[in-house]
Amino acid sequence: MSRLYGDPIEVWTRDGEPIQFVWRDRLYLVRRVLDHWVVAREWWKTSEGDPGERRFWRVDAGPGREVGSYELRYDTAANGWLLLRAWD
Amino acid sequence: MAPPFPHLHVCSAYSMRYGTAFPQALAQRAAEHGMDILALTDRDGLYGAVKHVQACADAGIAPVVGVDLALDAPPAGPAPGMRAERPRTGPEAEDRVTVLARGEGWSRLARLVTAAHRAGERGRPKVTRELVGAWAGGPGGEHGFGADDGLVVLLGPRSDVGRAVAARRDEHARTLLGLWRAAVPAVVIELVDQYGFRDATTAVRMLGLAESMGVPAVLTNAVRYLDPADHQVGDVLDAARQLVPLHPRHLDRTTSHAYLKSTKEMWQVAAKVCGADRTRVGRLLFTTRRLAEACAMDPLRLLALRNDPPDLHLPEIGRDPVPLLRHRVEDGLLRRGLGRDADARRRLGEEMTIIERKRLSGYFIAVAGITDMIRGMGVRCAIRGSGAGSLVNYLIGIGEVNPLDHGLLMERFLSEGRVGLPDIDVDVESARRLDCYRAIFDRYGEDRVACVSMMETYRARSAIRDVAGAMGLPPHEIDTIAKAFPHIRARQITASLADLPELRGSRLGDAGLDRVFRLAERLDGLPRHIALHPCGVLVGNSGLLDRTPVERSLLEFPMSQFDKEDVEEAGLLKLDVLGVRMQSALAYALGEVKRVDGVTVELDAQRGEDPDVQYVPHDDQETYDMICAARTIGCFQIESPGQRELVAKLEPRAMHDLIVDISLFRPGPVNSDMITPYLEARQGWRQPHYPHERLREALRETHGVVVFHEQVLKIISVMTGRDLSFAELLRRTLGTPEGRERVRKTFVPLARANGFDDAAVDRAWRVLDAFGGFGFCKAHAAAFALPTYQSAWLKRHHAAAFFAGVLTHDPGMYPSRVIVDEARQCGVKILPLDVNKSGKDWRVERLGPRVPVRVRPDRLAAGPRDAQPRRREFRAEDLGKGYALRVPFSAVKGVSEAEVERMVAGQPYTSLADFWDRARPSRPVIERIVQVGGLDALHDLRPGGPRWKPGELTRRDLIARIGALERSSASGVRAGPRASKHYTRPLETRPSETQPSAQLPLGFTEHLPPGELPEMTEAEMVEAELEILGIDVSRHVISFHDELLDLLGVVRARDLLRRRNGSEVLVAGVKVATQTPAVRSGQRVIFTTLDDSTGPIDLTFFESVQGHCAATVFGAWLMLAKGVVRRTGVRAVSLRAVDCWDLADLDGLWRSQGIDAVRDLLSRTPGEPAGVGGRRIEYPNGFRLSPYSDIAPAVTPPRRLWHASPGSSGPTAA
Repeated sequence: MSRLYGDPIEVWTRDGEPIQFVWRDRLYLVRRVLDHWVVAREWWKTSEGDPGERRFWRVDAGPGREVGSYELRYDTAANGWLLLRAWD
Repeated sequence: MAPPFPHLHVCSAYSMRYGTAFPQALAQRAAEHGMDILALTDRDGLYGAVKHVQACADAGIAPVVGVDLALDAPPAGPAPGMRAERPRTGPEAEDRVTVLARGEGWSRLARLVTAAHRAGERGRPKVTRELVGAWAGGPGGEHGFGADDGLVVLLGPRSDVGRAVAARRDEHARTLLGLWRAAVPAVVIELVDQYGFRDATTAVRMLGLAESMGVPAVLTNAVRYLDPADHQVGDVLDAARQLVPLHPRHLDRTTSHAYLKSTKEMWQVAAKVCGADRTRVGRLLFTTRRLAEACAMDPLRLLALRNDPPDLHLPEIGRDPVPLLRHRVEDGLLRRGLGRDADARRRLGEEMTIIERKRLSGYFIAVAGITDMIRGMGVRCAIRGSGAGSLVNYLIGIGEVNPLDHGLLMERFLSEGRVGLPDIDVDVESARRLDCYRAIFDRYGEDRVACVSMMETYRARSAIRDVAGAMGLPPHEIDTIAKAFPHIRARQITASLADLPELRGSRLGDAGLDRVFRLAERLDGLPRHIALHPCGVLVGNSGLLDRTPVERSLLEFPMSQFDKEDVEEAGLLKLDVLGVRMQSALAYALGEVKRVDGVTVELDAQRGEDPDVQYVPHDDQETYDMICAARTIGCFQIESPGQRELVAKLEPRAMHDLIVDISLFRPGPVNSDMITPYLEARQGWRQPHYPHERLREALRETHGVVVFHEQVLKIISVMTGRDLSFAELLRRTLGTPEGRERVRKTFVPLARANGFDDAAVDRAWRVLDAFGGFGFCKAHAAAFALPTYQSAWLKRHHAAAFFAGVLTHDPGMYPSRVIVDEARQCGVKILPLDVNKSGKDWRVERLGPRVPVRVRPDRLAAGPRDAQPRRREFRAEDLGKGYALRVPFSAVKGVSEAEVERMVAGQPYTSLADFWDRARPSRPVIERIVQVGGLDALHDLRPGGPRWKPGELTRRDLIARIGALERSSASGVRAGPRASKHYTRPLETRPSETQPSAQLPLGFTEHLPPGELPEMTEAEMVEAELEILGIDVSRHVISFHDELLDLLGVVRARDLLRRRNGSEVLVAGVKVATQTPAVRSGQRVIFTTLDDSTGPIDLTFFESVQGHCAATVFGAWLMLAKGVVRRTGVRAVSLRAVDCWDLADLDGLWRSQGIDAVRDLLSRTPGEPAGVGGRRIEYPNGFRLSPYSDIAPAVTPPRRLWHASPGSSGPTAA
């Protein structure tokens, strides 16, 4: 079962892909990217300027040896990361 | 380094309302990415194929062509338990596959597209596996790509196989793929990952499927954008195409990744799909590349004209065309009486040599066959354009203009150096054009002929409509916004808001529509839909469909997907059959002359023997008198305000003068200021000036001024000593600045070597330089001058019939009410609609007894005409005396063709009820007919008098009775005559004239006494006429304002000639024409014509006054203007406008506040001058062009003629 969070997190990337992130004061290392997709915003509803694009990653990651799946989201307009959901 | 990635699934802007980038831009971007192969796979057709191949050839890339087609929905429903319904919009709405042609597979691809269009509804082609299989070609070939001349099917995520994979129905997917492989030899799985949700998962699973079944898999990006930022345009197009507002559910994408990615980016996609397995990545990219190489085609396969010699697609005519054509021209020489003419024989020899060397004999035979057939159908048919310069065309009867008579040259039409194909243009009656097409198709069959198409593209209004619709604006607001713009390009929208005074005043720029306008600009020029070209017909052999794909036009004509440039590039020969309304008008007028006066007029013969026939000599001075008096409204080519001014100055006295006149009134001659020197030399005010004595011969006919292309050819030929073919080559290069520089480098040394001194060469070069690529082909003008003269002749000698033709076929620039008014001024009486006398179209009625036949052949023998042009007394009001025109049923707004037919067939009628019963008009139509007096005669109504007389029947009573009739008859229109339960056919069918004001002889269930409702006033009548017929029949609309105009001292058109040059006057009238043509100064100048019932008034608004005038000029219908008189000729005058007002507003002001308030308003000083913005387009000879010239302005139709003020139902009838 997955849980929804939506917590702001800090992420380090390499070649545009997340490699580690800090969530609830713990550092998670990304072991494997399971899926990656992009959703463009409904630009006609938003204000002028870049309405932004939301990039999603579903990764296997963990703070130590135990590994779970996590879904991360990067919003280009806000330039910020969220941890959306986690499977454990 | 890895080889470049080839994109195999790319949609360009020619995927209508889907793609966003033009083929050229895509090819250029691919070249920048270092790619060497690029495909174009537009949706539903090969519309962009020729342009793609051209662009690729120019960019040094190998082209691949293909098509993206929708699959016909499988007849069987989805498997039980699965989603039953497909969404109507969005990517799930239909399954699509991509079909690529192998290197030699063009013909099969074209045939498949044609078949797909035949199978689907119009504009929505559909294929099935079997259909693709039928054209896919044989098995074989390496790597599972089929035969060299075959087709390859790509099954991507949008295909039925892809859908099944995405839905995790693996077994179903395997079955479907198996079926595809059974039907088509070459099947490939296409992987796409645009980073959308589940894209990657589906791609991975499809790769697994392909590997397990041993099917090759390739990677594409399903490209539809050039840059990621184009996705907003794509979204708007998705919404516009499906007629829905923007919503994620309707859109084809979730991401902006469908752009032309670079090799590196595509490598990343491959790695994502293959899970970073390097072997699989390598294999996927390698297969993709191998397929691209197998499909790359030689550009010359499609670009037939670039081959040497050109690979032409020639019509087949059954036998060897060369001796056949030789035989035909020999016959023609004898028939035209040129058998002994040495000049004609020499010219013919030259033409035949070129025709035979270019292997075009069959084309001429085929075209002659078509024109013979058209004439055989009784349709008027005239050659136009450069083809009139060819003697062969004259001899085999394609045209009736003898090029030797007018000094026309063949080189403008067909020459050794000319790369393109000859193009024969013929004009036919517009009303019969489609009949001509049908006859051509019937004779040659759809395998050999097809119409040419053209792309309708987005312009300002259409772009605003589609964008605003996608953004969900209310329809009536969209309409208002779009109509505020003139017919400009979409990319001018924002600039025009600031540049054009009438838009500045509208405050549209501040309405928060920035985003709508910005997006609309980005739609600029994108193809919107395909339409039948107005004239092009391809004439080919049975292999035509191997060269071009064909679909159905709206009118069910087979139509090539190529436009006219593509057609030529592909080596297809065409004939232009243009419908010309004037030809229909002439034919109609001749019919009326015959019907009313019993005279046969031979418009195309100058003289003949038949005493009952009236012939039309080309030197009829009475006709020229009328032209010189500028009385040319309604005539072909010479009716515009500018032309009326020019003919008054030029005073044409012969056909050649008309040819010059038509050629002078073109941007070229206007631009290099040839009109003034020509007129001065013609009037004898100045000696003709020749750049060199040896050019006298070439320039004598136009008094030393260069007017025609033919003269340019002769100048070049004389100066360089080379032949006319060479000269034509140089002339065609004069079009661009770089071209002119190249020509100068060739021309100057050659002319010097030929013995001309530096000064002469310099003078001649300046003439050529100024002439540029403009100017007019004399052959074209000669072909035009003939109908011009014929129309003027008919107006002079059979005015009523002429106006009937013009009103019925509407060939000119003026609305019908102007023509009606001109007819009235020419003495023709205008009779109101009458259910018993009106016809389907405008009919001539003779008022007096039959006039003796006016055939006067003896006048021809009156000896040579005077050397001095005579100006005879010309009285326009006598032209049509004794004749009248009857308003027809078809002029009634909203009437259907079937209704008109019933109305005419049922004549005569005995009463309103009889008309209602037998003609069965719809209720609004019969009400309109009553309102404009169609039943006045029948019921003896005399509206316009005192408003109300008790007991007398009025039009309003009749309208009330229509209500009663409808209530008493069964509702709805039936196939048979109307019958009602309460209605019995009256026994007494005598006309009601015995008891005009009595109760209608009907079994009414409701009692309606006559005189119950007041009669219409004169003003109401005219208002109704204008609304329903668009014509003020009973009296001129300006006459209601006579009192106000007299109070203000407004000058009438007929009195303008008596005004001093430079004096300031007030004029008023109905606006009948507004033009913004290209003028020399680069200003946007507005030419407006007002009509005040005594003649036209021509006003010129320069930019300095447009700041305060433009909105009124474009918006008002009745106008009062202040202007300065400018005499432009002996009998011509024009006004430079200073200010203008809406007459309806002034009228309201006068009624509410009195005449002084009006005078105060008229004496206002205009505010700050604010002109028209926009960068001028500069030509090297000093010609500057406003970016807003030559666009049709926004026209506001009149809604009400007078402002309703309390207590007044309109202006008082005088």
